[in-house]
Amino acid sequence: MTLFVARRLGAMVLTVVLASLLVFVALQALPGDVATQILGRDATPEAVQVLRDQLGLDQPAWRRYLEWVGGAIQGDFGTSLASGEAVGSELALHLRNTLLIAVLAIAGGLLFSLVLGVVAGLYRDRWPDHLISGASLVGMSVPEFVVATVLVLLFSVTIPVFPAVVLDDADATVGQLLPAIWLPALALSIALAAYVVRMMRASVIDVMASEYVQTARLRGLGTGRVVLRHALPNAVLPTLNVIALNVAWLVGGVVVVETVFNYPGIGTLMIDAVYDRDLPVLQAIAVLSAVVYALCNLAADVAAMGLNPRLRAGGRSTA
Amino acid sequence: MRRPAATGAPITRRSLLATGIGLAAGAMTGCSTAGPATTALPEQARAGSARAGGELRIARPPASNAETLDPASSLCAYEYLGALYNRLTRIDRDGQVVPDLAAEWDVTEDAMRWTFRIRDDVSFHDGRPCTAHDAVYTIRRLLDPDLASPQQGVLAPLMEPGGVTAADDRTLVIELATPNAELPSLFTGYNCYVVPDGSGDDIGVAGIGTGPFRLDSFTAAGRGRVVANDAYWEGRPTLDSIAFFSIADQQARTNALLADQVDLLSQTNLDFVTARVVNASDNATIARVRNGQWYTIPMLTTVEPFTDPDVRRAVKLAYDPQRVLDVAAQGAGDLGHDNPVPPDNPLWVDHALERDPDQARALLRAAGYDGLTVDMYTSSYDPVFTPMTLAFKDSVADAGITVNVRNASADSYYSQVWMQQPLMATYWYTGRPVDQLLNQIFRGGSSYNETAWADDTFDAILDDARREIDDDKRRTLYQDAQRYIVDHSGSITPMFADRLVGLSRDVVNYYEHGFEFDYLNIGLADHRGERS
Repeated sequence: MTLFVARRLGAMVLTVVLASLLVFVALQALPGDVATQILGRDATPEAVQVLRDQLGLDQPAWRRYLEWVGGAIQGDFGTSLASGEAVGSELALHLRNTLLIAVLAIAGGLLFSLVLGVVAGLYRDRWPDHLISGASLVGMSVPEFVVATVLVLLFSVTIPVFPAVVLDDADATVGQLLPAIWLPALALSIALAAYVVRMMRASVIDVMASEYVQTARLRGLGTGRVVLRHALPNAVLPTLNVIALNVAWLVGGVVVVETVFNYPGIGTLMIDAVYDRDLPVLQAIAVLSAVVYALCNLAADVAAMGLNPRLRAGGRSTA
Repeated sequence: MRRPAATGAPITRRSLLATGIGLAAGAMTGCSTAGPATTALPEQARAGSARAGGELRIARPPASNAETLDPASSLCAYEYLGALYNRLTRIDRDGQVVPDLAAEWDVTEDAMRWTFRIRDDVSFHDGRPCTAHDAVYTIRRLLDPDLASPQQGVLAPLMEPGGVTAADDRTLVIELATPNAELPSLFTGYNCYVVPDGSGDDIGVAGIGTGPFRLDSFTAAGRGRVVANDAYWEGRPTLDSIAFFSIADQQARTNALLADQVDLLSQTNLDFVTARVVNASDNATIARVRNGQWYTIPMLTTVEPFTDPDVRRAVKLAYDPQRVLDVAAQGAGDLGHDNPVPPDNPLWVDHALERDPDQARALLRAAGYDGLTVDMYTSSYDPVFTPMTLAFKDSVADAGITVNVRNASADSYYSQVWMQQPLMATYWYTGRPVDQLLNQIFRGGSSYNETAWADDTFDAILDDARREIDDDKRRTLYQDAQRYIVDHSGSITPMFADRLVGLSRDVVNYYEHGFEFDYLNIGLADHRGERS
């Protein structure tokens, strides 16, 4: 298993390098550069030249990219072209803010969806199942920015419990952000839970029909014990990859949700960086996203091994 | 999101997803979207007695992550400027150029030498008196090519830095390189706020001016705060302080207003559906900035078929401005009649081409463009662009012109489409003084000339006007210039639309027109308690 993890980590490095290269190429394909984007309609040739000189954009892009890679290997992610701030510290602040809502969304979403998925599976084709399955279909179909807007209308405008947008900057304390994290986290967890509920329901139905569950029942074990000890671990197994994919999806989902709530996280940082063609910031975000993505998948595979002894043994025998 | 001004809207930030969310919000609050709706929207902001003190919370689109408090810069944070600084001159509610820091001015017969008398009772926030030397420094900075101020292209052709001097502490003297009888109006631009002598290196963060508020804090693309200047020379402002919040997304800005987190949305022209949602809420309402948005459809005169003046004229005869105004602005605004000067300006002339699709068809046939087909670009950059484009397309069809609508990305609309594609929908904020407007956007060779139109006859009218110190005669010349634009230029101005501004019902005496914002008298209504 150690070798398996090591091999996967090696592949992850390759993924990260490729992601950074792809973002670089994609950014070059976009029209305009930092100077023309920031200046907008004031981008007269003279103004653009002055700003390019100020920002040091006279070097060719590939050269700036290589320099960035050189720095990044040593842990220096450079400075933002637009704001002049160090990318590392800016990214750290925004990442902390995004983690606040992401962790809440994942924890809440998973707990919620596992419970609902099991209930739906156990009450297959009866009203709790219809209710849960229907709701999860709606959750899947409605885009997260609509969910977010509905939440704002309900809990900020109609019943003013939570703030509609975050007015603080990225360097606000956790205490200052605390009232504002609930709606974004809820919006994200609804989208996340919808997929997991359906996957969980399907595998609970499969497992409950299996022979060993039948056997356990015949031996007189209570339903609660059968479900918790025997059915659930096996039902979670096929769901793990869906969970991993959805957690990785959060990286994209936060962009939309953070925009709606003006939340100072990675998503808004990324939108601004794309808009400003701010290469160092965007590269750092790309690397971060690739790492998160790869780690999520790795974690899912390792967890699958942990839950299934056969997979574990298989890994060992090839080693 | 992030926002361009001497030039257009002082906004460059896109409005991400705004349309979709706006519709969602409208649908959810059960708001019907049919029919002209403006009758339901208030005409102007609430006036009346404000209680002394309080903090006004303004949500603004950040100019960019590189924004600064330096008024001369193209990256200036627009909302802060009027609160922190003063100009030499400003424009009053009747559209006249009136004194601000310059108490009076005089010009020689040949319109070559201007003398401005600077007020002697004004101090900067750090206590230093404001003198003619500060004005000299400010103007020389605007002329500096290394600073690349948007106003540089306006002022640099008129004067050398050496021609701007202080005869004494109170007297600013400007020796022009070319005659200009309209110079005081050119100092009303929002890049022309006066900064202290020698402050160039740190004015972008220090924000030290002479204005009604002084800087408490400022973060680029973040939040900031200004507090009342008790020693302000026009009297203390009504408010104690103003808090500014950066919200890039327009729908998020609107949500902040609906949830009573902010009191005013600056630089935000709400679409009609959203405006009605706002107006229907308990704590927010709508005010209009009359004719605030100057919508144009520039025909690039350097590209076929618009190189032909007859084709340009035919297109102007073919479209129906009333239809564009009704469809795109729901009738809230004034017809433009292809004249860039808004009808409420004192220099405006009433001159219009009567719509005549048959004559347009005949002109096109004679020019060899029978059944003309053109591409026209629009984008989600502003909610009015696409309805304006569709109404234009429909009405020119009467003259046999086929318009193919092309939707371009909002984030590169002004770098890839504007001044590059032959036909597009765009807008500017109204508020430029007429001389600057005509020279900056219509004179041959200007960097902001969006139709690339170059006409020696027209430029000569502008030169004559600038030479003429008799006010009435000069006015006539500027009116000739407007007629010439209507008849010959590549610029189509279907309408001036009112800007729909969202604000709290507690805000009183909100006044904004062009680039003027009344920070002195805006306040909060009596009844609202102190906010902690």
